[in-house]
Amino acid sequence: MKKRRVAITGLGLINPYGEGDVEDFFARIMRGESAVRYHTLSNSPRPLALPLVACSHFNPIAVLGPPLANAMDRFSHFAVASALSAWQDSGLAKHSNRDDYGVSWGTGSGGSLTIERGYQTLYFENKEKVSPLSIVLAMNNSAASHIAMQLGLGGPCITSTVACASSSVAIGEAFRRIREGAVNLMLVGGSEAPLSYGVIRAWQAMRVLSEGDATTAYRACRPFSENRAGLTLAEGAAALVIEDWEHACARGARIYAEIAGYGTTCDRTHIARPDSGGQARAIASALADGGLHPHEIDYVNAHGTSTVEGDAIEIQSIKTIFGEHAGKLAVSATKSMHGHSLGAASAIEALITTLALYHQAIPPTANVTEIGADCAGVDHVLSKGRSNVPVRAALSNSFAFGGSNAVLAFRSVTSS
Amino acid sequence: MPHDNDMNDLALIQNFLKDRVASASVDKIVPDATLTELGIDSLMLVELIFEFEDKTGITVPSDIPLPNTVGELLQQLKDIRSQQATK
Repeated sequence: MKKRRVAITGLGLINPYGEGDVEDFFARIMRGESAVRYHTLSNSPRPLALPLVACSHFNPIAVLGPPLANAMDRFSHFAVASALSAWQDSGLAKHSNRDDYGVSWGTGSGGSLTIERGYQTLYFENKEKVSPLSIVLAMNNSAASHIAMQLGLGGPCITSTVACASSSVAIGEAFRRIREGAVNLMLVGGSEAPLSYGVIRAWQAMRVLSEGDATTAYRACRPFSENRAGLTLAEGAAALVIEDWEHACARGARIYAEIAGYGTTCDRTHIARPDSGGQARAIASALADGGLHPHEIDYVNAHGTSTVEGDAIEIQSIKTIFGEHAGKLAVSATKSMHGHSLGAASAIEALITTLALYHQAIPPTANVTEIGADCAGVDHVLSKGRSNVPVRAALSNSFAFGGSNAVLAFRSVTSS
Repeated sequence: MPHDNDMNDLALIQNFLKDRVASASVDKIVPDATLTELGIDSLMLVELIFEFEDKTGITVPSDIPLPNTVGELLQQLKDIRSQQATK
């Protein structure tokens, strides 16, 4: 049976820079503008300030209205707001009531803010009860369900929790369902709201967070740099509308790019230390799935979190698969600017990769002073993006704790 | 003539609902209104009871029957007040 093609027709996100749309976000990313700031956490038992990306401007009451906003955790606020934005961008009817349309959403830790609030209530305020909404606010699939309810999507409603690969797995699994003909359209993406005292302290305990102060926070995340010193936590979300190519054409939709392939593997070696073998297999699998040869790939949006070990292993994985082509392969890690929003990160990076193909432009890695010797061997795009360059096809890498790897392959409309 | 506590309880319900139900204009939240037509589900009712407990310091038993109307709910709250006042 002939496989169907999958078009990307709508984009939406919670813009960490402010009120601007996806084009404003992409323009800032192309300029190498960091959204990382030195934030002091509110509502924490002891002072805690560190470099973070916080969507402080986002007001869920204003965007969603009080009844809806009061029935959701922050990660669902982000999810529904970005989904509504992507839906509007796609030109679809406001409430579809379609059972051949579904949702596939990613989140690493779901409603962790609700859980932490519940602990505060019980342990510190000495109350005997928490909100009766605690379970439905905190459960990981609440974001997907709220999206389905708001948009009238009666098909599959799936949630993927695969740490930092959550959204790329969500997108990839939805892509396969459309390609195989099980559904015609899916709202996909991911959201994360991890900026609570307990969650940040847990990440600090792993010693993987980059430090900084009010003057240096913006450059806290510097993937592949010789002086890289850890990741920068972020909150946020991105959503994409993906659909059967012919379904998109029939309704006259704008097609940003095509999802061509998806590969997912497990390192099967260590719960936290990445393994190049597992990553390389995921890249190879995505290329094979999309019928793409390595030399057709003009850009890789790297996982690139800015950890000493992880960045070097990713470059090794890329070189394993791309061989001699690696030296000419444009690579960048946009987390240097939008930070690491964990389960949402790969949705944001899928959105960026889509816009790179749409605009034929390659975004940069920001804040690098000098490429580390262990990260050399690819064409690092540094500081400013490259405009008006051919981008026929691109990959987005996501390599998560648990050794779970997911790679999405995209193709430009002009080359497909 | 309604007692002050009854009016306070009605105001509490009105305030609670205006932040949670899109269609809940204050003039619709009257004793004859059914909880269903106001969009109050069982979880929301528990939230409302918790709010009542926090505001008044009165404990509502967990086994009270589900009220059908705002009036029935107000009567239940009134009964619980009077029972606890006599203890």
